Amino acid sequence: MSLVELKRVTKRFGANVVLREVDLRVEKGEIIAIIGRSGSGKSTLLRCINGLEPVQGGEVWCDGVAVHDPKSDLRALRARVGIVFQSFNLFPHLTVARNVMLGPTIVKGMAADDAEKLAHEALRRVGLEEKIGAWADELSGGQQQRVAIARALAMSPTIMLFDEITSALDPELVGEVLLVLEAMARDGMTMLLVTHEMNFARRVANRVVFMHQGKVWEEGPAKEFFAAPRTEELRSFLSSVLH
Amino acid sequence: MAYTFQFRDVFAQKAAIVDGLVLTLELSAGTIVLGFAVGVLAAAALVYGKPWLRKAAGVYVESIRNTPLIVQLFLVFFGLPNLGVTLDAITASMITLTINLGAYTAEIVRAGFESVPRSQIEAGVSLGMTGPQVFRHVVLLPALKNVYPSLTSQFVLMMLATSVVSQISAAELFHAGSIIQSRTFRDFEVYTVIAVLYLALSLLMRAGFGVCYRIFFRR
Amino acid sequence: MIRELSLTDVEYLLLAMRWTIALTALALAGGGTIGLIVAACGASGRMLPRYLARGYVGLVQGIPLLVWLFLFYFGLSIFGYNLPPWVAATLGFSVYAGAFLGEIWRGALLSIPKTQWEAGRSIGLTFIEQLRHVIIPQAIRVAIPPTVGFTVQLVKNTSLAAVIGFVELTREGQLTTAATYQPFAVYLIVAALYFCVCYSLSRYAGALERSRRVAR
Repeated sequence: MSLVELKRVTKRFGANVVLREVDLRVEKGEIIAIIGRSGSGKSTLLRCINGLEPVQGGEVWCDGVAVHDPKSDLRALRARVGIVFQSFNLFPHLTVARNVMLGPTIVKGMAADDAEKLAHEALRRVGLEEKIGAWADELSGGQQQRVAIARALAMSPTIMLFDEITSALDPELVGEVLLVLEAMARDGMTMLLVTHEMNFARRVANRVVFMHQGKVWEEGPAKEFFAAPRTEELRSFLSSVLH
Repeated sequence: MAYTFQFRDVFAQKAAIVDGLVLTLELSAGTIVLGFAVGVLAAAALVYGKPWLRKAAGVYVESIRNTPLIVQLFLVFFGLPNLGVTLDAITASMITLTINLGAYTAEIVRAGFESVPRSQIEAGVSLGMTGPQVFRHVVLLPALKNVYPSLTSQFVLMMLATSVVSQISAAELFHAGSIIQSRTFRDFEVYTVIAVLYLALSLLMRAGFGVCYRIFFRR
Repeated sequence: MIRELSLTDVEYLLLAMRWTIALTALALAGGGTIGLIVAACGASGRMLPRYLARGYVGLVQGIPLLVWLFLFYFGLSIFGYNLPPWVAATLGFSVYAGAFLGEIWRGALLSIPKTQWEAGRSIGLTFIEQLRHVIIPQAIRVAIPPTVGFTVQLVKNTSLAAVIGFVELTREGQLTTAATYQPFAVYLIVAALYFCVCYSLSRYAGALERSRRVAR
């Protein structure tokens, strides 16, 4: 079975249908970029995978867990699924160290010393080991986002979800975050990124998925995807984004 | 109209004043600690509880906040004996004041819980934390920090409100004033001294809470 | 002699509520007048009025209401004024309410953007004229919900007037208890009566607050 499998997933917010019978498969080690206009359902799709958004129809399977089933133990799954948000969501009352250590100590019951070593390692991977004692609001946006990535990495996840993680950053800070993502890709992490960074997607992703009006409108290998879009909607989206 | 102020007579009753002051401080400290605990629990019930619990907490908070403290006091001290429960003045005072402060604290702390952005809770949940873990590690401290000024104002107000328990003859500071008044007939002087003491207490309390803030929240 | 708690007693308690409401109204009138002055001073650009206002508020809020009542009731007797309870109560509550209303209204005044003050100044209005024609009309809308909220506090606080002998609802409750020896039932009824008035006012204040936010 694939690492992530969505079968005919339907999701509504009230009367508003946001996802219409979406099918998607992600294999281990794959890097998938999800693109589309705002309102196309791409963020919602991502948030369904770790159960942050419940679905009204279809099946969501993640790492062998039936996410759509209300009886499933999502807590244990979430400890293996890392997610990074557009607005970082660091805990303001904790230092960088404690932000990164919180998951391992509280959720996995790790001893404080081991967690601290883990935190050092995670922060080293994102290039921020020297900021380990700082408070979140002392860091720039790009640094905060990298800490958020380290916080997710510290849980040793099997898959990482990224929800438009560079959209809220000043342009000059985007590069440092993308560098971290590229390193993670090289290390073989399975990654799903909702993103507007088309060049990054073309360079780093294996497959790209184009969402339109709540459906998977087009998907394919990254190189052909951008070079030869098959549908009119994708062509028009790409021309408006890649001017 | 000539009148010589005779504060000396009041100061001669120093012992009564000191005893009253001590009881006021004890009542205030006890009420703040217990009332705060009750308030946090009630607020958690209001925000995170199951529907029946939310309703029960709501009934508690609304009935206390919409009735006067002195009536609550009379109900406990004079009314409960009707039902077979007789309490001494100090115990009745502590219970009434705690229940009273708990309701006001619950409203304030509830606003604090609701002021923590959803995204923070999502971040905690996404790490695999349970509800109680998210509450303890992500919500509680930022919530209290946000409502700290309202909380401390409420605590100072409660210290001043302890004066009401004088009406069931608990010998705190205001009651001491009444006693001295009946002994010396220096009405104006007595209550001026009492007023100054309360004012000093409230200023000290505010300063103290300010220091606590710097210790607990200023990192 | 002890009499049974009857419907007549409930009737008397209800009637005593009139005095609770009356005292609240007097306190609002007196306190409102003081509050206007305190708020205007507190929002002033000059240091002296501001510090005077801050001093008044700090002084009143740092002393229990009971002390203020006793100061007016017993304290003024030394100057030869033997005030009847309702006068002492009105004075005490007015001083008390004036401080709290002053703070609420100062906040409302200060919430009006600086640009409104500048607009008034630029067409030549004095400080008082600016207040009257430009600022206060706008500030009133902001101030109404918290003022209604404070009125709830006032209604509850009038219960303390019982201590200086003013016969409002709580005092009537004490008298009824003395006659019937049924403190639990009597004070439960008294509490219920307060609850009806206060809860309705609270809900009204909440509705006002919500409608104000929507209107923005």
